[in-house]
Parts: sequence; structure tokens; C-alpha cells
Amino acid sequence: MEKTRPLWATPLQFVFACISYAVGLGNVWRFPYLCQMYGGGSFLVPYIIMLVVEGMPLLYLELAVGQRMRQGSIGAWRTVSPYLSGVGVASVVVSFFLCTYYNVINAWAFWYLFHSFQDPLPWSVCPLNGNRTGYVEECEKASSTQYFWYRKTLNISPSIQESGAVQWEPALCLVLAWLVVYLCILRGTESTGKMEQLANPKAWINAATQIFFSLGLGFGSLIAFASYNEPSNNCQKHAIIVSIINSSTSIFASIVTFSIYGFKATFNYESCLNKVILLLTNSFDLEDGFLTANNLEQVKDYLASAYPSKYSEVFPQIKNCSLESELETAVQGTGLAFIVYTEAIKNMKVSQLWSVLYFFMLLLLGIGSMLGNTAAILTPLTDSKVISSYLPKEAISGLVCLANCAIGMLFTMKAGSYWFDIFNDYAATLSLLLIVLVETVAVCYLYGLSRFESDLKAMTGHALNWYWKAMWGGVSPLLIISLFIFYLSDYIITGTLQYQAWDAAQGQLVTKDYPPHALAVIGLLVASSIMCIPLVALGTLITRRLRRGDPDPAPVA
Amino acid sequence: MVAFSMRKVPNRETTEISHVLLCNVTQRVSFWFVVTDPSRNHTLPAVEVQSAIRMNRNRINNAFFLNDQTLEFLRIPSTLAPPTDPSVPIWIIIFGVIFCIVLVATMLLILSGIQQHRRKHKGPSEMEDTEDKCENVITIENGIPCDPLDMKGGHINDAFVTEDERLTPL
Repeated sequence: MEKTRPLWATPLQFVFACISYAVGLGNVWRFPYLCQMYGGGSFLVPYIIMLVVEGMPLLYLELAVGQRMRQGSIGAWRTVSPYLSGVGVASVVVSFFLCTYYNVINAWAFWYLFHSFQDPLPWSVCPLNGNRTGYVEECEKASSTQYFWYRKTLNISPSIQESGAVQWEPALCLVLAWLVVYLCILRGTESTGKMEQLANPKAWINAATQIFFSLGLGFGSLIAFASYNEPSNNCQKHAIIVSIINSSTSIFASIVTFSIYGFKATFNYESCLNKVILLLTNSFDLEDGFLTANNLEQVKDYLASAYPSKYSEVFPQIKNCSLESELETAVQGTGLAFIVYTEAIKNMKVSQLWSVLYFFMLLLLGIGSMLGNTAAILTPLTDSKVISSYLPKEAISGLVCLANCAIGMLFTMKAGSYWFDIFNDYAATLSLLLIVLVETVAVCYLYGLSRFESDLKAMTGHALNWYWKAMWGGVSPLLIISLFIFYLSDYIITGTLQYQAWDAAQGQLVTKDYPPHALAVIGLLVASSIMCIPLVALGTLITRRLRRGDPDPAPVA
Repeated sequence: MVAFSMRKVPNRETTEISHVLLCNVTQRVSFWFVVTDPSRNHTLPAVEVQSAIRMNRNRINNAFFLNDQTLEFLRIPSTLAPPTDPSVPIWIIIFGVIFCIVLVATMLLILSGIQQHRRKHKGPSEMEDTEDKCENVITIENGIPCDPLDMKGGHINDAFVTEDERLTPL
């Protein structure tokens, strides 16, 4: 008899774990950005259609596979077909990359959280220069929040080639972040759930991509979570619940983000106006209070006509303040979370409180997703009899955390943020599409859709709706193939890949090309996960041939 | 005020108010001023005046209930107050506290895990001994050999078919 697999205490715990994994930082910083870029409210149309057509079916598929096979990703796919355990291995590799760089975000959130207990907030004022007559030049050119992010937090180098040394402050925060993750996963599944209880054609493509990555498909985490379910669990209902909650969180987060944008834009617009008023009042010796926001334009015209020479002197310094241009600035990713939000927070009353609350929320989101990511790696490891016979669960988790922490030190170097962007953009995008495609095709055509259907019916007691069958069999694979083709053609057409580097002298971001060794790393990242699938299949084929005539073992009923 | 500031400078203690000349006074309370040297009848260099004003800026501001932003001396950059720097940065203190809490919690969990392992390893071996004794007792007490129903395997009842045939075919 097989050793009893640990189970979730209640189905609710499983749902919470999935929600916590799916609702992550992407809901906060990527979805509002996409909404803004692709037409605001109208972006919801392709988003919801893609959710129904692609997100829910694939989420249900992964949960069902995990629940049916009752193993982590490697074991589950090996049960479907021995040649396919490469898919599981690829999932684990991608999850490993993700774990390595994702926890760096939690480290940054910790850093900001610890710095929120000061008055004034350190990113609201610029530090003084040497002779105390003004502010540091880099801070003058950029803003205080950007200076705090690029100089104090990252201590960023001007380009990816200049690596610099490991910065001890973010390194300490990274160690703490990994300790917290280790604390949560130490005891395995039981502790994970309990912790949760104490997120044109370009618009459509981006909607599809957002759904895909937001739900965390293809990493093996969902399979891992579902493998701890009772076989009779109604995972269809849970798949729908998790995807709806994930999307509602995205929409809610974008409402909040847009109001933050509005606050920041209004504040900056008013300070810009005040600066112009001060400049004109000083240059023309006007009476204090004469110039206001309302009569600014008329007075400017009057001054231009009455004192043309003086006006033309002052004119270059007068900025054209416009609320629209402030609202246009859309930022995504780390820029949104750590620059725009902190800039808005510093201007609120009781800013320390808002800052602490905000970074605490970021930490909860980030650590919740990290637990899913580590589960994707740990479940196949603890399932494998070879490893689990030598080491107890705690030691395996500890080793994985230690390895990831050591590699994560790469991201605490001076050029670490550039490497972070590389991992963020390339480690999980293309490989995941391929992994999920192979998963769908394998379940539908290799294992057999009718066989899977009867398995599910026996397991849960419900018949499979025609809708899921249609999606799994036809629509979703086609969608993924078209997404894949689009991404490939986009990479090929764009030519050399570029990145944004921080220029300290100018106080802004500049675009640079990736050097050859960075391009090699990008290629390695994508290839190392994708190659697992054919390599393992080939390996299985060879070992079969060597044994000569071993019949295919029938998958466990 | 300007004369007072000049008096603080060494070699200029004898500056009087009459030595400060104003010009270009505007409605907006702005004016140009120069400080003259009575003995040599020329105006003092700007640099000297600027440094004197700089040193007494706070006092001038307070006399008018103004501050550096509302009372501006052109070409005299104000010395900004540096932010208070505690000897130990605050963030390290908070980091230390949370780090210790997490470390202690991790240690506790690991230790309780090790204790559970030890209990489990003692437990099944004791159970096996008693079950063996039971079997031995039964076989010894009954002269007749036991029913081949295995005591240890009693959890799985092979009498019932697998789940697939739960519903009998019509």
C-alpha cells in the first residue's frame, strides 16, 4: 500500500493556497499597466474573453491532473506517459529560475518596510551634498524617490557589464526573505495552508499573456497543490473560483492604482504650477498672490507683450504644466511598485502608516506566491523515493532555500537589477507557453481525452462538461500556438534586445544594447527549460531500447 | 540687522547702521544694499558681506518670523539642515528584531519535527511487537491453525471491489 500522502485539512485550505499563489505582484503592477496602455476599461473585454477561453480551462486541467495522479509535476507526467516526464522536469527548472529571482522582490519590500519607520520617510527628502548648500546632484536631476530606489536601495551601476560587488544591505534582506519562506514551507503542505488563513491584436495578445502568467500555469505549482487533494475533491468548482478571484483582485488593484496615479498627477501638476508662479513673481517683481493658477495664462500673455525682452529670458525656464502629461506616464513592474507608489505615499498624511501597510501587503502577496513556487520544486523532490529516503523533508527544503539564496546574491550586486530584468522577462515566458502546450496536447491526445474524462468522473463523481472538452481539445492549444508564434516573431523582428540603464549623471533611464554574454545567458535560460522535454524523452527511449523489449508499464489506474 | 551681522566679523566691529546703504526699494519688499567702509570710503566686497550674512542668517530670519524660503538673499545659498542621523540606522534595529523572531520560530519548528520523528520511530516498532505477540498467542492458544485473515493487513478489505465497479452494469 502506498504511504499515505499528506492532505489539505479542508478543501478551503487548498483554495486559499491556490488563490494566494495566483494572486501575486503581477496583479498589482502588471494588470493596471496593461489596462492603461490598451484603452482602459475596454481592455477588460479581451481580458475576460481570454479568461474564459484560456485561463479557466487550463487551470482546471492542471488541477485535475494533479488531483488524479496525486504526485508532483515530474511523477504526474511520468504517469501520463514515461516519455513525458521531461515536461515535469522543465516545469521544475522554470520554477527554480522563478524562485531565484522572485524572492529578490520580497527582499526589496523588506528593505522599504524597515525604512518606513522613520520621520521623514527617507525617500521623501534628498540628502545634502558636501558643503550643505544644496542637494546631491543625482537627486536634483531625478526625484527623491528615484534616487532612493536607484542609489540607496540598488546602488545601481551604469550598465550591465560593470557588476560591482555584492551589496550587504539587500543581501541581508534577501537572507531574511528566504528564512521567512523556509519557515513557511518547513513543515510541508500542512503549514502552507495555515499560513494563508493568518491576488488592435496587441491588446488581445497581452490579455492572453496576462491571464496565462497571472494564474501561474505551467510551473507545476498547481499540480503540486492539487496532488495533496482528496481524489473526490471538486476541482472544477475550485478552478473557476480561483480564476475569478484572481481576476477580481487584478481589477480591484487597478482601481486602486489608478486613484494613486490620479493623486500623484494632481499633486505634481499643482507643484509644477506653483514653481512657475514663483518664478514669474520673482522675475517681474509682481505682488505676492497676484498670480494664481486661474489667471496664469492671461498674465503670461500680458507679460510677454509688455516686457518682451525680459520674458524671452525667463521663457526657457517656464515649464508647460499639463495634467494630461502627468497622467500619461505609465510605469510597470518594479518602477511602479517602488517609485510611483512611494512618491504618492510620501505626500499623504501619516505617510509612515500607509508605507508600512503598503509594503506589508506587497510582502504578503510576494511570499504567498513564493510558497507556490517552492512547492513546485519541493513536491517532485519529496515524491522521488531516492532523495526522500536519504533526507528528511526539512533538510530538503533547507537545501533548496540555501541554493536559491546563494544564487540570488547575484541580484544584490550593483548590476543586479539588470539581471533581475533579464530573468523576469525571459526565464518564464517562452518556456511556459511550450510547457503548457505540451501538457494540453499530452492529456488530450496521448493519454486520451475520453480516458481522462472517465478518470475524472470516477474520481469526483461529476461528468465532464462539453465546454471543457472543447477547450482542452481545440481552442486552448490553438491559442497557445498562436501566442508562441507571435512571441517568436516579435523577438526576431525586434532584432537586438535592449534594456533600460540608469544614468546617474543625467538622472534618468537610457536605452542600451545587451552585451553578448547577457544574450548568451538569455538563450541559456530559455533553452535549459525547453530542452528538458525532448532530452528526457530521448533518454527514456534509449534506456528502453537498451533493456530491449520491456513492455510499457500501464499507468496506475 | 545687516550692520549687526557685519559687526560680528573681525576687523569690522565698528560698522554702524549709517554705513549700510539701500537702493532700488520696490513695493514687494525687495531691495539692494551695500555696506560702506567709513575709513576708506568704499563699499565692502560682496564675498565678505555674504559670509557675514550667512553666519547670522538664522537670527535675521527669526527677527522677522520668516525662514529661508520666505526671506531670500540673492546669491547667498542657504545652508540646509542635515537630516538627523541616529548612530545606529533604524532599519537595522527592526531588521534585527524580525530576523531573530523568524530564526527562533524556525528553530522551534525544526526541533519539534525532530522530536516527532523520534516518537514515530519508537511507535511502529512497539506496535509490531504487540501484533506479533497477538498472532503468536492466537496460534498457540488454538490448537487449530488460525484463519488465514492477516491481522496486519486488516485495513484493506479485499472483499470489496475497486471503485471502478461501484455501479453495477445494467
